[in-house]
Amino acid sequence: MDNRHLTIYFTALMFTIILAGGCAKKIVRPNDMASPGFGLAGPGSVVESELQGIQSSLKTVYFDFDNYSLSPEAQASIDYDAEVLKRYPNLMVVIEGHCDERGTAEYNLALGERRAGAVAERLAALGIPSSRMNTVSFGSELPVDPNHNEEAWAKNRRAYLRVSK
Amino acid sequence: MRAYSYYTHHAERKRAIKVGGLLLCAILVICLTWDSSSAKLLIDVDNPNLGKMPIMVAQFTSNQPGSLNGSELASIIRTDLTLSGLFDVIEAPQPLPLTQNGDPELNSLSSSGAQALVMGSFQVNGSELTVECRLYDISLQKLDLGKRFTGPLSEHRYIIHRLTDSLLEKITNLRGSFTTDIAFIVDDPRTREIFLMNYDGYNLRPLTDTKVLNLSPDWAPDGKGLIFTSYIKGRPDLWYVPLSDGRRVVLISDRKGLNASGRFSPDGSKIALSLSVKSIPKIFIINTRGDIINQLTNGLGNDISPTWSPDGANIAYVSDQAGTPQIYIVPVTGGRPKRITLSNAYNTDPDWSPRGDELVFTSKIDGRFQICVIKPDGSDFRVLTNKGSNQDPAWSPDGRMIAFTSNRDGFKRIFVMDAKGTVQVPVSNKSGKSPAWSPRLSK
Repeated sequence: MDNRHLTIYFTALMFTIILAGGCAKKIVRPNDMASPGFGLAGPGSVVESELQGIQSSLKTVYFDFDNYSLSPEAQASIDYDAEVLKRYPNLMVVIEGHCDERGTAEYNLALGERRAGAVAERLAALGIPSSRMNTVSFGSELPVDPNHNEEAWAKNRRAYLRVSK
Repeated sequence: MRAYSYYTHHAERKRAIKVGGLLLCAILVICLTWDSSSAKLLIDVDNPNLGKMPIMVAQFTSNQPGSLNGSELASIIRTDLTLSGLFDVIEAPQPLPLTQNGDPELNSLSSSGAQALVMGSFQVNGSELTVECRLYDISLQKLDLGKRFTGPLSEHRYIIHRLTDSLLEKITNLRGSFTTDIAFIVDDPRTREIFLMNYDGYNLRPLTDTKVLNLSPDWAPDGKGLIFTSYIKGRPDLWYVPLSDGRRVVLISDRKGLNASGRFSPDGSKIALSLSVKSIPKIFIINTRGDIINQLTNGLGNDISPTWSPDGANIAYVSDQAGTPQIYIVPVTGGRPKRITLSNAYNTDPDWSPRGDELVFTSKIDGRFQICVIKPDGSDFRVLTNKGSNQDPAWSPDGRMIAFTSNRDGFKRIFVMDAKGTVQVPVSNKSGKSPAWSPRLSK
């Protein structure tokens, strides 16, 4: 019963977040960001403590099983991330492509590469210079959730944007 | 010789022998491709209806008991013979009935149904071990092979494996590959190091010490090192590691994106791999310095996991160009790829058999992954596993065994089975994956 309650709670929470995101403007301008750290330094000059704030503000992009196409939710996440990256034009970003544990390690490596590539392509279309971006596929080697169920798999099929100076 | 017909049931054989009709024996012998010119135990491995040859392996004896365990030596041979898939190992009486001059009483063993008997003795001289082994044909009541091996006592398992290699060569005309190693990736939360072990799981030792992710090891045909994909520089690049020193890794290819699933050509001069220099992973051929020789595949699909035909003329690989991952074959000089897997929506990880007649691969069946084989023309698809999820198949160099990863016991580890899947056993206790079977190693 506890688990069920949790699931319901979690679903409701996710729903609220999605709704809130949907009602508000899809693309949140960097000015609206509540993270501490933001706006303290001018464009281009980022201190170490700020980097962490920027990192945690970036949205992870999620994918369907054996798929690297961008869902509307995935596109919205990337659009948001593009706005963050534009605000800090001197930051480099590595886009990590990940898969869930199902399937073959090597095939998943290719799939992760395509996921990272799809995100990079959209970021480029949104004006992020390719020279700032790198992609790296980790296949199914680094799950964020080590469990073997649908919920874990959904979390693990992702592209993670890692920023550095 | 008796190549065992699939239809010759064990009980029938027993009855036949008990009835003892010479006539019946004669009929059996005629039916079963008897090679009268060379009266010897022989398994015709090309016979598709081949049954298993019943064989006894007696405990090894010594006049210096305590220096080594004679039943352990025999059990190494029993495991080897069982995993070849060609033998039905029958319990041998202990002690073995002997005649006055020390030969086995073959007459008294024939009622067991065993066709052959392996017996042996050992001598320890300081740190040196000498093993003597004999192979008897029980029905013909004659000695078929006598072998003697000497080597360091510390390598007694290797010496016994060599013995079984030659037993198999005597019986099948094709040497065994029991002295080989398997390289595989050991799963730790943040690192994946390459480990080595004997094919039966003994003598486990680490090879790399990179503290990063390593994937897809593949042996150089000379057996002196492996190529693998490593994140030493934070990205999936292709590296080489010599067996002589696991810390002396050499970079081969670090192009932008993937440098993945590298496989040596049979002559060792080239490497097929998946590169994503133009953003989509495609199969390329490079030389061992990493220079591109040619791009083999095109189009929008993800192409990965190449495997060479043993003659080096063709490459089989995985592509999802048709929407789902499937196995294709393309000439190594380029040309139109031909799809060979048609059933099931997820077919990956092909490994071309050393005889060239089959590909072993992973197929998703009813939501789980299974090891399957198929002929290069796409015919004769067969499923070899059915417990848990099974992946990463790799042939032994003699083509008689397949190593693979299975989670059937609750965690991923390396299993070995015979080429038909009749015997499947775990060989490692460590959590791991991606087995790569070594070529025959000279020592």
